Amino acid sequence: MIQLTNVSKIYPNGARALVDVNLKIGKGDFVFLVGPSGAGKSTLIRLLYREESPTRGQVQINSKNLVRMKEREVPYLRRNIGVIFQDFKLLPNKTVFENVAFALEVIGVVKREVRTRTRATLELVGLASKETSYPHELSGGEQQRVCVARAIINNPALLVADEPTGNLDPDTAWDIMDLLYNINKRGTTIVMATHAKSIVNKMQKRVIAIENGKVARDEEKGGYGYDT
Amino acid sequence: MTLNSSRYILRETVNSMKRNPWLSIASVITVMVSLVILGFSIFFLANASNMAESFESELEIATFVKDNATSSQVDALRNQILEMPGVASVTLVTKEEALQDFGKTLGGTQSNLLADLGGRNPFPDKLTVKATDPKNVVALAEVVAALPEVDKVRYGQGFVDQLLKFTQWLRWIGFGVVAAFSVAAIVLISINVKMNVFSRRREIQIMKLVGASNGFIRWPFLIEGLALGLVGGAMAAGIVGMGYNSIAMYVLSKMTFLPVVQNDVLFRQVTFGLLFSGMAMGALGSGISLQKFLRA
Ligand SMILES: Nc1ncnc2c1ncn2[C@@H]1O[C@H](COP(=O)(O)OP(=O)(O)OP(=O)(O)O)[C@@H](O)[C@H]1O
Ligand SMILES: [Mg+2]
Repeated sequence: MIQLTNVSKIYPNGARALVDVNLKIGKGDFVFLVGPSGAGKSTLIRLLYREESPTRGQVQINSKNLVRMKEREVPYLRRNIGVIFQDFKLLPNKTVFENVAFALEVIGVVKREVRTRTRATLELVGLASKETSYPHELSGGEQQRVCVARAIINNPALLVADEPTGNLDPDTAWDIMDLLYNINKRGTTIVMATHAKSIVNKMQKRVIAIENGKVARDEEKGGYGYDT
Repeated sequence: MTLNSSRYILRETVNSMKRNPWLSIASVITVMVSLVILGFSIFFLANASNMAESFESELEIATFVKDNATSSQVDALRNQILEMPGVASVTLVTKEEALQDFGKTLGGTQSNLLADLGGRNPFPDKLTVKATDPKNVVALAEVVAALPEVDKVRYGQGFVDQLLKFTQWLRWIGFGVVAAFSVAAIVLISINVKMNVFSRRREIQIMKLVGASNGFIRWPFLIEGLALGLVGGAMAAGIVGMGYNSIAMYVLSKMTFLPVVQNDVLFRQVTFGLLFSGMAMGALGSGISLQKFLRA
Protein backbone atom coordinates (compact mmCIF):
# COMPACT_ATOMS: atom_id res chain seq x y z
CA MET A 1 0.00 0.00 0.00
CA ILE A 2 2.81 2.41 0.92
CA GLN A 3 6.15 2.32 -0.80
CA LEU A 4 9.10 4.64 -0.29
CA THR A 5 11.94 4.26 -2.76
CA ASN A 6 15.33 5.90 -2.08
CA VAL A 7 13.61 8.78 -0.32
CA SER A 8 15.73 11.69 0.92
CA LYS A 9 14.42 14.88 2.41
CA ILE A 10 16.63 17.92 2.87
CA TYR A 11 14.82 21.00 4.19
CA PRO A 12 15.58 24.39 2.63
CA ASN A 13 17.68 25.26 5.70
CA GLY A 14 19.93 22.29 4.94
CA ALA A 15 18.63 19.89 7.62
CA ARG A 16 18.90 16.32 6.33
CA ALA A 17 15.75 14.81 7.82
CA LEU A 18 15.64 11.60 5.76
CA VAL A 19 18.49 9.86 3.92
CA ASP A 20 17.83 7.22 1.28
CA VAL A 21 14.90 5.53 2.98
CA ASN A 22 13.32 2.40 1.49
CA LEU A 23 10.10 1.10 3.02
CA LYS A 24 7.10 -1.04 2.20
CA ILE A 25 3.94 -1.08 4.28
CA GLY A 26 1.11 -3.45 3.39
CA LYS A 27 -2.61 -2.88 3.42
CA GLY A 28 -4.10 -3.30 6.90
CA ASP A 29 -0.71 -3.10 8.66
CA PHE A 30 -0.20 -1.40 12.00
CA VAL A 31 3.24 0.23 12.09
CA PHE A 32 5.04 2.12 14.85
CA LEU A 33 7.71 4.64 13.89
CA VAL A 34 10.16 5.02 16.76
CA GLY A 35 13.50 6.72 17.21
CA PRO A 36 15.20 9.59 18.97
CA SER A 37 14.04 13.16 18.73
CA GLY A 38 14.98 14.77 15.42
CA ALA A 39 15.39 11.37 13.72
CA GLY A 40 12.91 12.20 10.96
CA LYS A 41 9.69 10.46 12.06
CA SER A 42 7.43 13.47 11.63
CA THR A 43 9.05 14.22 8.28
CA LEU A 44 8.26 10.71 7.09
CA ILE A 45 4.65 11.05 8.24
CA ARG A 46 4.30 14.38 6.44
CA LEU A 47 5.50 12.82 3.20
CA LEU A 48 2.62 10.35 3.37
CA TYR A 49 -0.14 12.95 3.15
CA ARG A 50 1.99 15.19 0.94
CA GLU A 51 2.41 17.99 3.40
CA GLU A 52 6.02 17.74 2.23
CA SER A 53 7.57 16.31 -0.91
CA PRO A 54 10.86 14.38 -0.90
CA THR A 55 14.00 16.03 -2.25
CA ARG A 56 14.87 12.76 -3.98
CA GLY A 57 13.16 9.42 -4.44
CA GLN A 58 9.57 8.32 -4.87
CA VAL A 59 6.60 7.97 -2.50
CA GLN A 60 3.76 5.75 -3.62
CA ILE A 61 0.42 5.14 -1.93
CA ASN A 62 -1.94 2.62 -3.52
CA SER A 63 0.34 2.75 -6.57
CA LYS A 64 -0.27 6.51 -6.87
CA ASN A 65 2.97 8.45 -7.17
CA LEU A 66 2.82 11.38 -4.74
CA VAL A 67 5.85 13.10 -6.22
CA ARG A 68 4.46 13.30 -9.74
CA MET A 69 0.95 14.04 -8.49
CA LYS A 70 -0.55 17.33 -9.71
CA GLU A 71 -1.42 19.96 -7.13
CA ARG A 72 -5.13 19.71 -7.82
CA GLU A 73 -5.13 15.94 -7.17
CA VAL A 74 -3.77 16.36 -3.64
CA PRO A 75 -7.16 17.05 -1.99
CA TYR A 76 -8.48 13.77 -3.37
CA LEU A 77 -5.46 11.92 -1.99
CA ARG A 78 -6.12 13.43 1.42
CA ARG A 79 -9.75 12.42 1.44
CA ASN A 80 -8.42 8.89 1.61
CA ILE A 81 -5.92 9.56 4.44
CA GLY A 82 -6.84 10.44 8.01
CA VAL A 83 -4.35 12.48 10.06
CA ILE A 84 -4.11 12.64 13.86
CA PHE A 85 -1.92 15.10 15.75
CA GLN A 86 -0.38 15.40 19.16
CA ASP A 87 -2.06 18.82 19.60
CA PHE A 88 -5.45 17.64 18.19
CA LYS A 89 -5.87 20.70 15.91
CA LEU A 90 -9.53 21.26 16.75
CA LEU A 91 -11.36 24.51 15.97
CA PRO A 92 -12.00 26.18 19.36
CA ASN A 93 -15.15 28.03 18.28
CA LYS A 94 -16.89 24.95 16.92
CA THR A 95 -18.64 22.24 18.91
CA VAL A 96 -17.54 18.61 18.89
CA PHE A 97 -20.22 17.83 16.34
CA GLU A 98 -19.22 20.77 14.13
CA ASN A 99 -15.54 19.93 14.32
CA VAL A 100 -16.17 16.42 13.05
CA ALA A 101 -18.82 17.43 10.54
CA PHE A 102 -16.42 20.06 9.18
CA ALA A 103 -14.38 17.32 7.47
CA LEU A 104 -17.45 16.35 5.43
CA GLU A 105 -18.84 19.85 4.91
CA VAL A 106 -15.72 21.16 3.25
CA ILE A 107 -15.65 18.36 0.71
CA GLY A 108 -19.24 19.11 -0.25
CA VAL A 109 -21.15 16.20 1.34
CA VAL A 110 -24.90 16.88 1.56
CA LYS A 111 -26.24 18.06 4.88
CA ARG A 112 -28.34 15.02 5.67
CA GLU A 113 -25.46 12.66 5.11
CA VAL A 114 -23.16 14.88 7.17
CA ARG A 115 -25.54 14.57 10.11
CA THR A 116 -25.95 10.78 10.04
CA ARG A 117 -22.28 10.05 9.43
CA THR A 118 -21.09 12.47 12.11
CA ARG A 119 -23.48 10.90 14.67
CA ALA A 120 -22.30 7.40 13.76
CA THR A 121 -18.62 8.34 14.02
CA LEU A 122 -19.06 10.10 17.37
CA GLU A 123 -20.82 6.96 18.58
CA LEU A 124 -17.84 4.89 17.47
CA VAL A 125 -15.32 6.99 19.42
CA GLY A 126 -17.64 7.12 22.43
CA LEU A 127 -18.44 10.83 22.34
CA ALA A 128 -22.12 10.79 21.36
CA SER A 129 -23.09 12.50 24.61
CA LYS A 130 -20.59 15.35 24.12
CA GLU A 131 -21.57 16.50 20.67
CA THR A 132 -22.66 19.99 21.78
CA SER A 133 -19.57 20.60 23.94
CA TYR A 134 -16.73 22.88 22.88
CA PRO A 135 -13.12 21.59 22.82
CA HIS A 136 -12.13 23.59 25.93
CA GLU A 137 -14.87 21.78 27.86
CA LEU A 138 -13.30 18.38 27.12
CA SER A 139 -10.44 16.40 28.67
CA GLY A 140 -7.31 15.76 26.61
CA GLY A 141 -8.36 12.21 25.83
CA GLU A 142 -11.79 13.36 24.72
CA GLN A 143 -10.25 16.02 22.48
CA GLN A 144 -8.01 13.42 20.92
CA ARG A 145 -11.03 11.22 20.28
CA VAL A 146 -12.65 14.13 18.44
CA CYS A 147 -9.53 14.38 16.33
CA VAL A 148 -9.67 10.63 15.64
CA ALA A 149 -13.34 10.91 14.71
CA ARG A 150 -12.54 13.69 12.24
CA ALA A 151 -9.71 11.63 10.78
CA ILE A 152 -11.75 8.49 10.20
CA ILE A 153 -15.11 9.94 9.20
CA ASN A 154 -14.27 9.62 5.51
CA ASN A 155 -13.40 5.92 5.94
CA PRO A 156 -9.80 6.47 4.89
CA ALA A 157 -7.72 3.49 3.83
CA LEU A 158 -4.76 4.97 5.71
CA LEU A 159 -4.58 6.63 9.12
CA VAL A 160 -1.37 8.42 10.08
CA ALA A 161 -0.74 9.64 13.61
CA ASP A 162 2.15 11.77 14.89
CA GLU A 163 2.52 11.13 18.64
CA PRO A 164 -1.24 10.86 19.18
CA THR A 165 -0.75 10.04 22.86
CA GLY A 166 2.05 12.53 23.47
CA ASN A 167 -0.09 14.88 25.55
CA LEU A 168 -2.12 12.22 27.39
CA ASP A 169 -1.71 10.39 30.67
CA PRO A 170 -1.09 6.60 30.41
CA ASP A 171 -4.71 5.51 31.02
CA THR A 172 -6.11 7.97 28.51
CA ALA A 173 -3.38 7.01 26.07
CA TRP A 174 -4.53 3.41 26.26
CA ASP A 175 -8.11 4.47 25.51
CA ILE A 176 -6.87 6.03 22.30
CA MET A 177 -4.79 2.96 21.48
CA ASP A 178 -7.86 0.76 21.94
CA LEU A 179 -9.67 2.97 19.49
CA LEU A 180 -6.85 2.78 16.94
CA TYR A 181 -6.59 -0.98 17.46
CA ASN A 182 -10.27 -1.37 16.60
CA ILE A 183 -10.01 0.91 13.60
CA ASN A 184 -7.07 -1.16 12.36
CA LYS A 185 -9.13 -4.33 12.89
CA ARG A 186 -11.66 -2.98 10.42
CA GLY A 187 -8.96 -2.88 7.75
CA THR A 188 -7.49 0.59 8.03
CA THR A 189 -3.71 0.80 7.67
CA ILE A 190 -2.15 2.74 10.54
CA VAL A 191 1.25 4.42 10.71
CA MET A 192 2.00 5.95 14.10
CA ALA A 193 5.08 7.87 15.24
CA THR A 194 5.55 7.60 19.00
CA HIS A 195 7.88 7.77 21.96
CA ALA A 196 5.50 5.70 24.14
CA LYS A 197 7.68 2.73 25.05
CA SER A 198 5.11 0.75 27.01
CA ILE A 199 2.53 1.03 24.26
CA VAL A 200 4.93 -0.16 21.57
CA ASN A 201 6.16 -3.04 23.70
CA LYS A 202 2.70 -4.20 24.65
CA MET A 203 1.01 -3.93 21.24
CA GLN A 204 3.52 -6.24 19.52
CA LYS A 205 3.14 -4.69 16.11
CA ARG A 206 5.65 -3.93 13.37
CA VAL A 207 8.25 -1.42 14.58
CA ILE A 208 10.39 0.72 12.28
CA ALA A 209 13.17 2.59 14.06
CA ILE A 210 14.52 5.73 12.39
CA GLU A 211 17.89 7.16 13.39
CA ASN A 212 19.56 10.14 11.74
CA GLY A 213 17.14 9.94 8.87
CA LYS A 214 17.80 6.29 8.12
CA VAL A 215 15.90 3.07 8.84
CA ALA A 216 17.93 1.53 11.66
CA ARG A 217 15.67 -1.41 12.45
CA ASP A 218 12.50 -2.93 11.03
CA GLU A 219 10.90 -5.89 12.81
CA GLU A 220 7.52 -7.59 12.91
CA LYS A 221 6.04 -7.81 16.44
CA GLY A 222 8.88 -5.61 17.66
CA GLY A 223 9.58 -3.67 20.81
CA TYR A 224 10.46 -0.05 21.46
CA GLY A 225 14.14 -0.88 21.86
CA TYR A 226 15.35 2.31 23.49
CA ASP A 227 15.87 2.77 27.21
CA THR A 228 14.86 6.38 27.63
CA MET B 1 -20.85 23.51 -6.26
CA THR B 2 -23.66 21.98 -4.20
CA LEU B 3 -26.29 23.94 -2.32
CA ASN B 4 -24.62 22.75 0.85
CA SER B 5 -21.31 24.31 -0.16
CA SER B 6 -22.95 27.60 -1.12
CA ARG B 7 -24.57 27.81 2.28
CA TYR B 8 -21.22 27.21 3.94
CA ILE B 9 -19.55 29.85 1.78
CA LEU B 10 -22.23 32.44 2.46
CA ARG B 11 -22.05 31.89 6.21
CA GLU B 12 -18.26 32.22 6.18
CA THR B 13 -18.41 35.42 4.14
CA VAL B 14 -20.72 37.09 6.63
CA ASN B 15 -18.59 35.88 9.56
CA SER B 16 -15.42 37.21 8.04
CA MET B 17 -16.90 40.66 7.53
CA LYS B 18 -17.92 40.75 11.17
CA ARG B 19 -14.39 39.84 12.15
CA ASN B 20 -12.70 42.98 10.77
CA PRO B 21 -15.48 45.56 10.60
CA TRP B 22 -13.23 48.65 10.45
CA LEU B 23 -11.06 47.31 7.72
CA SER B 24 -14.15 46.31 5.80
CA ILE B 25 -15.59 49.79 6.16
CA ALA B 26 -12.31 51.39 5.06
CA SER B 27 -12.20 49.15 2.00
CA VAL B 28 -15.77 49.94 1.07
CA ILE B 29 -15.19 53.67 1.47
CA THR B 30 -12.07 53.74 -0.71
CA VAL B 31 -13.86 51.81 -3.42
CA MET B 32 -16.72 54.25 -3.09
CA VAL B 33 -14.55 57.39 -3.24
CA SER B 34 -12.67 56.20 -6.30
CA LEU B 35 -15.89 55.32 -8.08
CA VAL B 36 -17.67 58.53 -7.07
CA ILE B 37 -14.83 60.49 -8.66
CA LEU B 38 -14.97 58.24 -11.72
CA GLY B 39 -18.73 58.67 -12.01
CA PHE B 40 -18.68 62.46 -11.71
CA SER B 41 -15.76 62.69 -14.13
CA ILE B 42 -17.72 60.73 -16.71
CA PHE B 43 -20.72 63.03 -16.34
CA PHE B 44 -18.55 66.14 -16.44
CA LEU B 45 -16.82 64.98 -19.60
CA ALA B 46 -20.11 64.06 -21.21
CA ASN B 47 -21.34 67.57 -20.49
CA ALA B 48 -18.17 69.24 -21.73
CA SER B 49 -18.24 67.44 -25.04
CA ASN B 50 -21.94 68.06 -25.34
CA MET B 51 -21.30 71.73 -24.75
CA ALA B 52 -18.51 71.82 -27.29
CA GLU B 53 -20.83 70.29 -29.86
CA SER B 54 -23.66 72.63 -29.10
CA PHE B 55 -21.47 75.67 -29.78
CA GLU B 56 -20.93 76.56 -33.33
CA SER B 57 -18.44 74.40 -35.01
CA GLU B 58 -14.98 75.79 -35.26
CA LEU B 59 -15.23 75.92 -39.04
CA GLU B 60 -18.26 78.17 -39.18
CA ILE B 61 -18.51 81.94 -39.36
CA ALA B 62 -21.94 83.38 -38.70
CA THR B 63 -22.23 86.46 -40.91
CA PHE B 64 -25.03 88.90 -40.09
CA VAL B 65 -26.16 91.11 -42.97
CA LYS B 66 -27.05 94.77 -42.46
CA ASP B 67 -30.76 95.35 -42.02
CA ASN B 68 -31.20 97.59 -45.02
CA ALA B 69 -29.78 95.12 -47.57
CA THR B 70 -32.21 93.92 -50.23
CA SER B 71 -32.61 90.27 -51.02
CA SER B 72 -30.76 90.63 -54.31
CA GLN B 73 -27.88 92.30 -52.46
CA VAL B 74 -27.87 89.36 -50.07
CA ASP B 75 -27.70 86.93 -52.96
CA ALA B 76 -24.85 88.87 -54.53
CA LEU B 77 -23.03 88.92 -51.19
CA ARG B 78 -23.49 85.21 -50.88
CA ASN B 79 -21.98 84.57 -54.30
CA GLN B 80 -19.13 86.96 -53.58
CA ILE B 81 -18.18 85.11 -50.38
CA LEU B 82 -18.61 81.74 -52.05
CA GLU B 83 -15.91 82.71 -54.55
CA MET B 84 -13.37 83.65 -51.88
CA PRO B 85 -10.48 81.21 -51.40
CA GLY B 86 -10.83 78.83 -48.45
CA VAL B 87 -14.63 78.89 -48.41
CA ALA B 88 -16.36 75.52 -48.51
CA SER B 89 -20.00 76.56 -48.46
CA VAL B 90 -22.33 79.41 -47.66
CA THR B 91 -25.84 78.83 -46.35
CA LEU B 92 -28.45 81.53 -46.08
CA VAL B 93 -30.92 81.77 -43.23
CA THR B 94 -33.28 84.63 -44.03
CA LYS B 95 -34.70 86.84 -41.32
CA GLU B 96 -38.15 85.27 -41.93
CA GLU B 97 -36.74 81.77 -41.39
CA ALA B 98 -34.91 82.92 -38.30
CA LEU B 99 -38.15 84.34 -36.90
CA GLN B 100 -39.99 81.10 -37.64
CA ASP B 101 -37.27 79.04 -35.95
CA PHE B 102 -37.45 81.28 -32.94
CA GLY B 103 -41.22 80.86 -32.85
CA LYS B 104 -40.80 77.07 -32.95
CA THR B 105 -38.43 77.09 -30.00
CA LEU B 106 -40.99 79.08 -28.06
CA GLY B 107 -43.77 76.68 -29.01
CA GLY B 108 -47.44 77.65 -28.89
CA THR B 109 -49.08 79.93 -31.45
CA GLN B 110 -46.73 81.90 -33.62
CA SER B 111 -49.21 83.67 -35.92
CA ASN B 112 -49.05 86.87 -33.96
CA LEU B 113 -45.39 86.65 -32.99
CA LEU B 114 -44.44 89.45 -35.37
CA ALA B 115 -47.18 91.64 -33.92
CA ASP B 116 -46.01 90.86 -30.40
CA LEU B 117 -42.57 92.03 -31.36
CA GLY B 118 -43.98 95.41 -32.41
CA GLY B 119 -44.30 94.59 -36.11
CA ARG B 120 -40.55 94.57 -36.54
CA ASN B 121 -38.52 91.41 -37.18
CA PRO B 122 -35.45 91.69 -34.89
CA PHE B 123 -33.53 88.98 -36.75
CA PRO B 124 -31.05 89.86 -39.47
CA ASP B 125 -30.36 87.71 -42.52
CA LYS B 126 -27.62 85.30 -41.65
CA LEU B 127 -25.03 83.67 -43.91
CA THR B 128 -23.29 80.69 -42.42
CA VAL B 129 -19.86 80.55 -44.01
CA LYS B 130 -18.03 77.28 -43.72
CA ALA B 131 -14.25 77.40 -44.09
CA THR B 132 -12.26 74.53 -45.60
CA ASP B 133 -9.63 74.74 -42.86
CA PRO B 134 -9.96 75.86 -39.23
CA LYS B 135 -6.69 77.78 -39.57
CA ASN B 136 -8.24 80.11 -42.15
CA VAL B 137 -11.24 80.95 -40.02
CA VAL B 138 -9.84 84.09 -38.36
CA ALA B 139 -8.45 85.64 -41.57
CA LEU B 140 -11.58 84.78 -43.50
CA ALA B 141 -13.80 86.24 -40.78
CA GLU B 142 -11.87 89.54 -40.95
CA VAL B 143 -12.24 89.78 -44.73
CA VAL B 144 -15.96 88.99 -44.56
CA ALA B 145 -16.50 91.49 -41.71
CA ALA B 146 -14.94 94.25 -43.86
CA LEU B 147 -17.53 93.82 -46.64
CA PRO B 148 -19.90 96.84 -46.78
CA GLU B 149 -23.16 94.84 -46.55
CA VAL B 150 -21.98 92.93 -43.51
CA ASP B 151 -23.05 94.17 -40.10
CA LYS B 152 -20.95 91.84 -37.94
CA VAL B 153 -19.52 88.32 -37.83
CA ARG B 154 -19.32 85.78 -35.05
CA TYR B 155 -17.09 82.71 -34.92
CA GLY B 156 -15.62 80.27 -32.47
CA GLN B 157 -12.69 82.52 -31.54
CA GLY B 158 -10.87 79.47 -30.25
CA PHE B 159 -13.39 78.87 -27.49
CA VAL B 160 -14.28 75.40 -28.64
CA ASP B 161 -10.64 74.63 -29.05
CA GLN B 162 -9.94 75.74 -25.50
CA LEU B 163 -12.86 73.77 -24.14
CA LEU B 164 -11.63 70.62 -25.85
CA LYS B 165 -8.12 71.20 -24.57
CA PHE B 166 -9.49 71.67 -21.08
CA THR B 167 -11.53 68.47 -21.23
CA GLN B 168 -8.44 66.67 -22.46
CA TRP B 169 -6.56 67.86 -19.40
CA LEU B 170 -9.42 66.99 -17.17
CA ARG B 171 -9.56 63.54 -18.66
CA TRP B 172 -5.95 62.89 -17.69
CA ILE B 173 -6.28 64.35 -14.22
CA GLY B 174 -9.50 62.43 -13.64
CA PHE B 175 -7.86 59.27 -14.91
CA GLY B 176 -4.90 59.80 -12.58
CA VAL B 177 -7.02 60.43 -9.50
CA VAL B 178 -9.31 57.49 -10.23
CA ALA B 179 -6.33 55.23 -10.85
CA ALA B 180 -4.69 56.26 -7.56
CA PHE B 181 -7.85 55.65 -5.57
CA SER B 182 -8.50 52.35 -7.35
CA VAL B 183 -5.04 51.11 -6.45
CA ALA B 184 -5.64 52.15 -2.83
CA ALA B 185 -9.00 50.36 -2.85
CA ILE B 186 -7.52 47.19 -4.31
CA VAL B 187 -4.67 47.22 -1.80
CA LEU B 188 -7.09 47.71 1.10
CA ILE B 189 -9.31 44.87 -0.08
CA SER B 190 -6.31 42.62 -0.46
CA ILE B 191 -5.14 43.49 3.06
CA ASN B 192 -8.65 42.78 4.26
CA VAL B 193 -8.72 39.37 2.62
CA LYS B 194 -5.16 38.59 3.71
CA MET B 195 -5.93 39.38 7.34
CA ASN B 196 -8.92 37.16 7.06
CA VAL B 197 -6.88 34.33 5.61
CA PHE B 198 -4.44 34.86 8.47
CA SER B 199 -7.07 34.82 11.20
CA ARG B 200 -8.47 31.63 9.71
CA ARG B 201 -5.18 29.88 9.02
CA ARG B 202 -5.99 27.11 11.49
CA GLU B 203 -9.27 26.42 9.81
CA ILE B 204 -7.64 26.51 6.39
CA GLN B 205 -4.95 24.10 7.53
CA ILE B 206 -7.59 21.64 8.69
CA MET B 207 -9.61 22.14 5.52
CA LYS B 208 -6.56 21.26 3.45
CA LEU B 209 -5.85 18.30 5.68
CA VAL B 210 -9.27 16.73 5.26
CA GLY B 211 -9.10 17.24 1.50
CA ALA B 212 -11.03 20.42 0.72
CA SER B 213 -10.10 21.59 -2.76
CA ASN B 214 -8.27 24.89 -3.14
CA GLY B 215 -11.24 26.21 -5.07
CA PHE B 216 -13.54 25.49 -2.15
CA ILE B 217 -11.18 27.09 0.36
CA ARG B 218 -10.82 30.19 -1.83
CA TRP B 219 -14.51 30.87 -2.45
CA PRO B 220 -15.42 32.63 0.81
CA PHE B 221 -12.42 34.95 0.46
CA LEU B 222 -13.15 35.70 -3.16
CA ILE B 223 -16.77 36.41 -2.36
CA GLU B 224 -15.73 38.62 0.52
CA GLY B 225 -13.63 40.75 -1.83
CA LEU B 226 -16.42 40.84 -4.40
CA ALA B 227 -18.96 41.84 -1.78
CA LEU B 228 -16.77 44.67 -0.43
CA GLY B 229 -16.27 45.97 -3.96
CA LEU B 230 -19.92 45.62 -4.86
CA VAL B 231 -21.10 47.49 -1.75
CA GLY B 232 -18.63 50.31 -2.51
CA GLY B 233 -19.78 50.37 -6.13
CA ALA B 234 -23.46 50.46 -5.17
CA MET B 235 -22.88 53.34 -2.76
CA ALA B 236 -20.93 55.23 -5.42
CA ALA B 237 -23.68 54.64 -7.98
CA GLY B 238 -26.25 56.00 -5.54
CA ILE B 239 -24.20 59.08 -4.65
CA VAL B 240 -23.28 59.85 -8.26
CA GLY B 241 -26.84 59.28 -9.50
CA MET B 242 -28.53 61.45 -6.88
CA GLY B 243 -25.74 64.02 -6.81
CA TYR B 244 -25.72 64.49 -10.55
CA ASN B 245 -29.48 64.76 -10.68
CA SER B 246 -29.62 67.50 -8.08
CA ILE B 247 -26.72 69.40 -9.69
CA ALA B 248 -28.42 69.12 -13.08
CA MET B 249 -31.68 70.40 -11.59
CA TYR B 250 -29.91 73.34 -10.01
CA VAL B 251 -28.02 74.27 -13.17
CA LEU B 252 -31.18 73.94 -15.26
CA SER B 253 -33.09 76.24 -12.94
CA LYS B 254 -30.34 78.88 -12.61
CA MET B 255 -28.65 78.83 -15.99
CA THR B 256 -31.28 77.75 -18.47
CA PHE B 257 -29.06 78.42 -21.47
CA LEU B 258 -26.55 75.72 -20.51
CA PRO B 259 -27.06 72.41 -22.25
CA VAL B 260 -27.13 69.79 -19.46
CA VAL B 261 -26.91 66.11 -20.37
CA GLN B 262 -29.86 64.14 -19.09
CA ASN B 263 -29.48 60.88 -20.85
CA ASP B 264 -31.12 57.75 -19.42
CA VAL B 265 -28.90 55.44 -21.40
CA LEU B 266 -25.76 57.16 -20.12
CA PHE B 267 -27.20 57.04 -16.62
CA ARG B 268 -27.76 53.32 -16.78
CA GLN B 269 -24.36 52.71 -18.31
CA VAL B 270 -22.62 54.68 -15.56
CA THR B 271 -24.58 52.87 -12.83
CA PHE B 272 -23.73 49.42 -14.18
CA GLY B 273 -20.22 50.57 -14.93
CA LEU B 274 -19.67 51.62 -11.31
CA LEU B 275 -21.14 48.40 -9.92
CA PHE B 276 -19.02 46.35 -12.27
CA SER B 277 -15.85 48.35 -11.50
CA GLY B 278 -16.46 47.84 -7.78
CA MET B 279 -16.71 44.09 -8.25
CA ALA B 280 -13.63 44.11 -10.45
CA MET B 281 -11.66 45.91 -7.73
CA GLY B 282 -12.89 43.37 -5.20
CA ALA B 283 -11.97 40.43 -7.39
CA LEU B 284 -8.54 41.91 -8.07
CA GLY B 285 -7.93 42.65 -4.40
CA SER B 286 -8.79 39.17 -3.21
CA GLY B 287 -7.07 37.66 -6.24
CA ILE B 288 -3.81 39.34 -5.24
CA SER B 289 -3.87 38.05 -1.69
CA LEU B 290 -5.03 34.58 -2.68
CA GLN B 291 -2.41 34.20 -5.36
CA LYS B 292 0.11 32.56 -3.07
CA PHE B 293 -2.52 30.26 -1.74
CA LEU B 294 -3.62 29.20 -5.22
CA ARG B 295 -0.26 27.51 -5.56
CA ALA B 296 0.27 26.07 -2.10
N1 LIG C 1 9.92 22.42 8.59
C1 LIG C 1 11.21 22.15 8.82
N2 LIG C 1 12.16 22.98 8.32
C2 LIG C 1 13.46 22.71 8.53
N3 LIG C 1 13.93 21.68 9.19
C3 LIG C 1 13.04 20.82 9.71
C4 LIG C 1 11.64 21.01 9.57
N4 LIG C 1 11.00 20.00 10.17
C5 LIG C 1 11.95 19.23 10.70
N5 LIG C 1 13.19 19.70 10.43
C6 LIG C 1 14.46 19.08 10.80
O1 LIG C 1 14.48 17.77 10.27
C7 LIG C 1 14.99 16.85 11.20
C8 LIG C 1 13.93 15.77 11.48
O2 LIG C 1 12.85 16.37 12.17
P1 LIG C 1 11.51 15.58 12.51
O3 LIG C 1 10.54 16.57 13.01
O4 LIG C 1 11.12 14.76 11.34
O5 LIG C 1 12.01 14.65 13.69
P2 LIG C 1 11.16 13.69 14.64
O6 LIG C 1 11.73 12.34 14.49
O7 LIG C 1 9.72 13.85 14.38
O8 LIG C 1 11.50 14.26 16.07
P3 LIG C 1 10.57 14.27 17.41
O9 LIG C 1 10.58 12.92 17.97
O10 LIG C 1 11.26 15.24 18.31
O11 LIG C 1 9.20 14.72 16.99
C9 LIG C 1 15.36 17.65 12.42
O12 LIG C 1 16.76 17.91 12.33
C10 LIG C 1 14.60 18.93 12.30
O13 LIG C 1 15.30 19.99 12.86
MG1 LIG D 1 8.05 14.60 15.46
